[in-house]
Amino acid sequence: MAKRNYRPLASVKALQKTMGRYYALTNYHRYWGKPFRRPLAWVTSGAPVELLRSFKIHSAYPEQYAAIYSARNTTVALCEIADSAGYSQDLCSYARSNIGGVLRPDLAPLGGMPKPDLLVACNNICGTVLKWYEALARHFNIPLLVLDTPYLTDEMTQQAKDYVLEQLYAMAVDLEKITGRPFNEKNLAKQMRQSAEITSLWKETRQYCQANPSPLNAPDLFIHMAPIVVLRGSQEGIDYYRKLKAEVKERVALGQGAVENERIRLVWDNIAIWPQLFTFYKMFADKGACFVSDTYSGGWASLQSPGTPMESLATTYTEVFLNRSPEFRANQLINLIRDYKADGFVMHSNRSCKPYSLVQEVIRKKVMRETGVPGLMIEADMADLRAYAEEPVRNRVQAFLETFD
Amino acid sequence: MQKYFVGVDIGSLTVKVVLINDDLEILGTAMTRAGFSGRDVAARLKDQLISDSGLTAQVIGATVATGYGRVTFPSDREVSEITCQAKGISHLFPTARTVIDIGGQDSKVIKLLSNGRVADFAMNDKCAAGTGRFLEVMAAALEVEWQEISELASTSENPAKISSFCTVFAESEIISHVSTGALKSDILAGVCDSVASRVASMTRRTGLEPDIVFTGGVAHNQGVVNALSKQLGYPLLVSREPVITAALGAALLASELRKA
Repeated sequence: MAKRNYRPLASVKALQKTMGRYYALTNYHRYWGKPFRRPLAWVTSGAPVELLRSFKIHSAYPEQYAAIYSARNTTVALCEIADSAGYSQDLCSYARSNIGGVLRPDLAPLGGMPKPDLLVACNNICGTVLKWYEALARHFNIPLLVLDTPYLTDEMTQQAKDYVLEQLYAMAVDLEKITGRPFNEKNLAKQMRQSAEITSLWKETRQYCQANPSPLNAPDLFIHMAPIVVLRGSQEGIDYYRKLKAEVKERVALGQGAVENERIRLVWDNIAIWPQLFTFYKMFADKGACFVSDTYSGGWASLQSPGTPMESLATTYTEVFLNRSPEFRANQLINLIRDYKADGFVMHSNRSCKPYSLVQEVIRKKVMRETGVPGLMIEADMADLRAYAEEPVRNRVQAFLETFD
Repeated sequence: MQKYFVGVDIGSLTVKVVLINDDLEILGTAMTRAGFSGRDVAARLKDQLISDSGLTAQVIGATVATGYGRVTFPSDREVSEITCQAKGISHLFPTARTVIDIGGQDSKVIKLLSNGRVADFAMNDKCAAGTGRFLEVMAAALEVEWQEISELASTSENPAKISSFCTVFAESEIISHVSTGALKSDILAGVCDSVASRVASMTRRTGLEPDIVFTGGVAHNQGVVNALSKQLGYPLLVSREPVITAALGAALLASELRKA
């Protein structure tokens, strides 16, 4: 049997329970949604879910289901369905596998996603979501609410803030019509408070990884980010992250590392390579290389901006890192490398995620220049295994790790 | 007692073996097509090189394997081609700062620190454009032996434009050039330019710092050497035996294993 040099987390049990409950609720929404007057929304990962929660809307995330499709090796089959329906192979593999799952739910894990009552797309993460959700809106013939967050070339501007704020108020009016419930600012404030708490817990948990050895490695971060994506603002999410934080804190106190004999500390940039989650990161762990932080799951650890609940929503969701300049993103990586005392970084040039990947070479050069640590670029895809060439990837990883010998 | 070291480079197209002594002198080299099982071919080639040099397996201090077949080849250590290539080139050319290596299915650019260590590198991905295989396919389409490419290309006065990077589409482009009556020499010059421009942009991406060494099987092709040198605006250093530099690096690393 292959040697295991990876320390499992006890919190995985709680994670499975928390997420299992969420999936059960979501997939059986058709039985309880109507009687409780709680519509189901499909939302993008950067949608202002606290506003939806304040209207008692239940949210499901196509991106998150797409990651599960991929981890269960069904992405290629689902993408082929979308390819046959005319969607280009150059489109995002989350979009294609989601559409494939809509057309053929029998081929999708968990029986595909439950049928939505409305769609909410925010383009702070990418522009693809607009056309993707338009296609879904036509298919299901349901309302699509769009939040347009202007790209920030520098800091947030008053004009951008006003523009987003106005849309949020308009969205609240639409949601009143859809749900039959009035907008309640107190409800929203409560959701924002709970959301802030869960974000702080996630942030503090991550910060423990500044310890040497690091208590968590990239696959831990990617697996344990699930609740902050889908249960942001919920009490279950808060309960879960309290448990995780306590376990990680204890690991640090005991000096336990996620990777045995941690020798090289790395920072990861871009979405996980879901279909290779363990085999890919094992190549690093086998050589004592641990990913102590990353920009992807760290995207959910940004604290809320000040202001009224609506103002805070407007700023927080416009300032997400994928909506920021290459300078901002380079500085983000530089700070992670310094704060986590990393020896290098690895960038996943993700064929699917254009806004994340297109500027990476510029960022890579700047970060290498300013920190003096090496940076490796890997070409792959977050979900579509056909874009992953195993031997060339192994070659690059080996050569990169040899530079630390 | 004198010890000897072996470097084995099992590439996608060819297998290369280099034998050196304690003084890091090259005693012998051997090369052949990798064929179906590069590993078996490499094992035979290694044994043959050792016996042809009048030695026995007992005096071999260590063997390092590199190249695509490195993982399954029995050796003291397997090391990536990038590290081996850097080692071999900085041994032959201590002033080298940039290495351009075009092999059978890989093209790579390695940036070296002044101590010969790897600072950064870039490689082609999932595509045979700008590789030896690309040249082979185009030569076959024109019914030219690959050794003839450089001589024919050097006579071209009006190189054809090969715009497609894709090996399959470039081949059909060549066929259409042939059907319109273009000269073989012009088409071949266009093919060399195409490989050079693909690799030149990769080189600029890692940052261009002289001295620049061009290595790998394609460095034998003067047509690509000239085209690449012209596009980069720098002279290129080429070793006498560019095919074996990664295997040499592997042998040098094998000699260090013993000292360690």
